[in-house]
Amino acid sequence: MERKEIFSKLNEIFIDVLDLDECNLTDETNANDIEEWDSLSHIQLIVAIEKRFGIKFTSLEIMKWRNVGELVDSILSKK
Amino acid sequence: MNPQSIGFLSFCVVVLTANGLLQRFSVRWQNGLLLLASCVFYAMADWVMLFLMMGMSVVYWWLGGLLKRLMNKGRTADASRLTTFSVCIAICLLCYFKYLGFFVEQVGCLLQMFGIHSSLSLSILLPLGLSFYTFKLISYIIEIHREHIEPCDNLMTFSLYISFFPTVMAGPIDRSGTFLPQLKKTRRVDADALIQGAKTMLWGYFLKICIADPLSLATDETWNTFDSLPASTVLAAALIYPIQMYADFCGYSCIAIGLGRMLGLVVTENFNRPFLARNVAEYWRRWHMSLTNWLTDYVFMPLNITWREYGNRGIMLAIIVNMIVVGIWHGANWTYLLFGLYHGLLFLPLIYSGTFTRKKKLKPGKWGLPTLHDGMYMVGTYLLVTIGFVAFRAPDVGSIFGFLGAIFDSSIMEIPHIPQFRLLYLAFIAILLVNDWIYRDSPSPLHFNGTGLFRYRLVRWFIYYLLLFAIYIYSDAESQQFIYVQF
Repeated sequence: MERKEIFSKLNEIFIDVLDLDECNLTDETNANDIEEWDSLSHIQLIVAIEKRFGIKFTSLEIMKWRNVGELVDSILSKK
Repeated sequence: MNPQSIGFLSFCVVVLTANGLLQRFSVRWQNGLLLLASCVFYAMADWVMLFLMMGMSVVYWWLGGLLKRLMNKGRTADASRLTTFSVCIAICLLCYFKYLGFFVEQVGCLLQMFGIHSSLSLSILLPLGLSFYTFKLISYIIEIHREHIEPCDNLMTFSLYISFFPTVMAGPIDRSGTFLPQLKKTRRVDADALIQGAKTMLWGYFLKICIADPLSLATDETWNTFDSLPASTVLAAALIYPIQMYADFCGYSCIAIGLGRMLGLVVTENFNRPFLARNVAEYWRRWHMSLTNWLTDYVFMPLNITWREYGNRGIMLAIIVNMIVVGIWHGANWTYLLFGLYHGLLFLPLIYSGTFTRKKKLKPGKWGLPTLHDGMYMVGTYLLVTIGFVAFRAPDVGSIFGFLGAIFDSSIMEIPHIPQFRLLYLAFIAILLVNDWIYRDSPSPLHFNGTGLFRYRLVRWFIYYLLLFAIYIYSDAESQQFIYVQF
């Protein structure tokens, strides 16, 4: 699976979970860039991502992410 | 050294002058000066415990470096164990000084319930600022483990971060990721920083001396005699207590933030107009933010991630645990536990209804006031918070129910008469709340945006002098210690 494909799926998940009209994630996007993305919706996003990609993140992995790019790296490392 | 004492102000003048003179020298000199000032400040309050704080700084600085070396070698399991060990040391230290005496006392009570005579008691004095600096130490180690920061390479810089005198007594709890980088570069303090810092300090002193101290005399008197007072008076005292707490703690935070600014450092914000909150979740995003953000990152989030499979039930449990930690962080007493549990329970309807995360920006309605809808929710939130503060203020669990019970009496219709309360205080409270509303988006207090009458320098200076005059008049009154210093 390529980065581009992962980003495309992540955009769909973000739109669905955060109830956004549109979403254009980049490697640098973080919680400060999307108002609806807070500590609680973060967990909902993780659950949705794990379900969609059929993977499981560790707690430390989740806590380390500083932006979407690092989240994508984690997904790629599990595929 | 009490921050509203002449001694403290003189100390600040000496440090600010020396800091200004050292601007042309390297950052090492600037940090050396601030570390020396921080040690002197702490030693004047508790010189024995200065060794504990400095000793802990050395140990955690070394642990941070060791942790990074383990991570670089790819020994991730050892790194995780060392992180857990480091966090446990800090928690054990906190438990020993803060909770052991209470625990021993409770064991004694339990034994007596079973008819076993016990005179168990343990008196341990809480070192100044321990609750605040242990949280900094814990956060430093976890942030290295999460690869968010690099360990600090200079022991003097790290010790200054832990002991920085404006915040060491009662916060705000600065995070290593934002504060340490500031200590690594030479700081230039310009006129704008000095003016903004001084204005923030002025506002802090106004809150403490003209609002918090006079109100504390009134609420203390009511709490001491609530059994014999009309219900309306007890209710009025309960309603003004959250304002007193806000003025007291926000006042302290403003003094710390303002002083930091004058020294060329940005200290994290602690309050963002909490009484404009329209629900309890929003209230906690605006009240004691440095503590709630810390707990969100290191208690709520790890629990929530671990229990993510359980959906709303997992979130609720994580919030209740988190809020109980908020409560007992304030001290070893069942009242604080109840205070935390009460707030945790207040979150539950918000999670069920989905309003927990909804963040609607405050927009003014007619005549620039809050809309009727927002206003009603603000008042409702204030009333809920007031009940929580009764638990917070009560000396024991029995008094919580005694105080609340005293409100439900036929004398509720009488005109309240709070001993030592003056009508002028209402004007001061109004200034505080109106200022919060008008400048709800302003970065700092008294940061007038140059519109309306405030575009005239004469008007602005008139306000500054008026505040100074009020502080001068009220500084004669009995000076109270800042409430959060005891935590």
